[in-house]
Amino acid sequence: MIAVEEISLTRGDFSFAGISLQVPESSYTVLMGPSGAGKTLLLESIGGFLPVTGGRILVAGRDVTMLPPEKRGIGFMYQDYSLFPHLTVEENIAYGLKMKGIASCERTSTVKTLLSSFSLHTLASRHTGSLSGGEKQRVALARALATRPSALLLDEPFAALDPEARLSCMDEVKAIQKEHGLTILQVSHDRDEAYRLADQVVVMDNGRILQKGTPAAVFSYPVHPTVAALAGFENMLEGTSGSSEGGRTRLSIGTGTIIADRMVPAGDRVFACIRSRDITLAGADISQSEQVNRIDGQVISMVATEHGCQVRFAGPFPLLIDIPGDRSLQDCQLGDHVVALVAPADVHLIHLPKNTGEGGNAP
Amino acid sequence: MARTAAGRGSLMSSPEQPPRKKYWPSGNSLAAFWIPGMILVGIIVLALLVITIPVLRNPEYLAGAASDPVVFQAFFVTFLAGFCAVGILAITGTPLAYALSRSDTPWKGVVETLVDIPLVLPHTVAGLMVYLLFMSRGLLGAPLGGIGLTFEDAFPGIVAAMVFVAIPYYVNAVREGFGRVPVQLENVARSLGASRARAFVTVTLPLTTRHIMYGALLAWGRAIGEFAAVIMIAYFPVVISTLIYYRFNTGGIAESQAIAFLLILLCLVLFFVFRFLTRRAGVYDDRS
Repeated sequence: MIAVEEISLTRGDFSFAGISLQVPESSYTVLMGPSGAGKTLLLESIGGFLPVTGGRILVAGRDVTMLPPEKRGIGFMYQDYSLFPHLTVEENIAYGLKMKGIASCERTSTVKTLLSSFSLHTLASRHTGSLSGGEKQRVALARALATRPSALLLDEPFAALDPEARLSCMDEVKAIQKEHGLTILQVSHDRDEAYRLADQVVVMDNGRILQKGTPAAVFSYPVHPTVAALAGFENMLEGTSGSSEGGRTRLSIGTGTIIADRMVPAGDRVFACIRSRDITLAGADISQSEQVNRIDGQVISMVATEHGCQVRFAGPFPLLIDIPGDRSLQDCQLGDHVVALVAPADVHLIHLPKNTGEGGNAP
Repeated sequence: MARTAAGRGSLMSSPEQPPRKKYWPSGNSLAAFWIPGMILVGIIVLALLVITIPVLRNPEYLAGAASDPVVFQAFFVTFLAGFCAVGILAITGTPLAYALSRSDTPWKGVVETLVDIPLVLPHTVAGLMVYLLFMSRGLLGAPLGGIGLTFEDAFPGIVAAMVFVAIPYYVNAVREGFGRVPVQLENVARSLGASRARAFVTVTLPLTTRHIMYGALLAWGRAIGEFAAVIMIAYFPVVISTLIYYRFNTGGIAESQAIAFLLILLCLVLFFVFRFLTRRAGVYDDRS
């Protein structure tokens, strides 16, 4: 288990203070956040490469805050895998064992086992420069696991792979994690990675943790606009809460209003988050009562996408709308006056109470 | 269509066809850069020729210089002092270069400026500094003299002058090499159980081989060519640059030309041997 307790760190102009995080034993945690959020710094401070100015870091119950990286028992893997280019695959894997003073015969046997279990035996004598992305990743993992670390820190390990290799590598890493009961903390930008791998997702921005939970909980019920953006809510409309009635609240956004299925106090700052796929378009003549949220506007751009078409809609507030390919949009043309329809249940509300500048609460 | 392509293929491979002329797309030629650049290269070639041609025309001077024990001793002293200077720089300059490449202390800029000082100083000023530091009553010369290390008109004085003038050449070249090794490699090495020193020795140093070699060669070349700083602390034992200057004043151009020719020849041979021996060094430097 990795336990980060109230750690603080300053690096140039960037700093974070009082960050706490728990990565349960044998679990996979994915740390997400926009670029510059401090994810890699947090990972490097846990790894011992950056000194913290306060707080404690515990690995498998042992306080490692003041220990150098080599004594923390934490494996580390960077996005580019950082394989030693002057060593062969075999020597790369054996490196940690050599540094730890493991006897030559034991070292050879461990390396052989790892080469075999990672299907690297045919590459053993190759230098790493000629390996493919997937092979490099397997070498880096085998090297990190050779010393049997208590935990593994991975900094965007799949970012450099092509889409096909990425999926198979993710599955491999997850299988290895389960097989070895590894505790992994991984930095990622990718929601799909988090869904596929994570038992827990932690989102951070500007040096603070915004939300943590299971991938489904975090991505379905974001409590902060940054989390909502990572969760794939393409439309985030800032406004003010108005009257509430029957479990619903009317929100003032731009020059229009929208109703959400949630009660919040009137006059508070809110973000109405709507996924582009949850909005439908209809002709301007659609009857008023058919949907609760009816937004009149105009189509200002249409772009073909993999799944159909994406429409930019200008009304009392701008909207991005995905039209699936199987739904016909016979009469919709650029410049047409149309109606966007959104069910109140599809409007996720991030409520920012008056007394707090940032952060919100889940429903 | 297929016939056309086949026809074109056979035409292209026909030996009777004249070779195609290469046309540079407009504005793509490097001539505008080569022409002024070749002025410098031309000056170097001419400088070599004005030494080489007269020496080859009058080989008796060359034979005289090659068999002169004074010339032999001067070469020996110069090259040995140069190697000693490089050795001292390797031991002290390599850690300094590493510290400069990895440190983000606000004092780094001050240290970098200090390292560069010998680069911008007139050689006589460098010589004066070395003399004042290492003379028998000097700040360093006095205590070192107490343990039997004399610098004035002695071999250690030559080495001291050579080290001083060659510091920036070695440190800057090696620092650049360390800067090219990603710090992530060291971090990973440390996460695998290597101490900072072992990560440096087992990962960083092997990946900086080319820059260390290059720095050593630059420093050695600079060291053996030093004249002013060397004669101010140690006129004797005579180094080759001192001897060339002495013979120029006493024996004339022809005598000094013959020694200069030998020096050029030996340096070229040494450079080629060095390049041959280190041709595989640094083969992984660019893959890190």
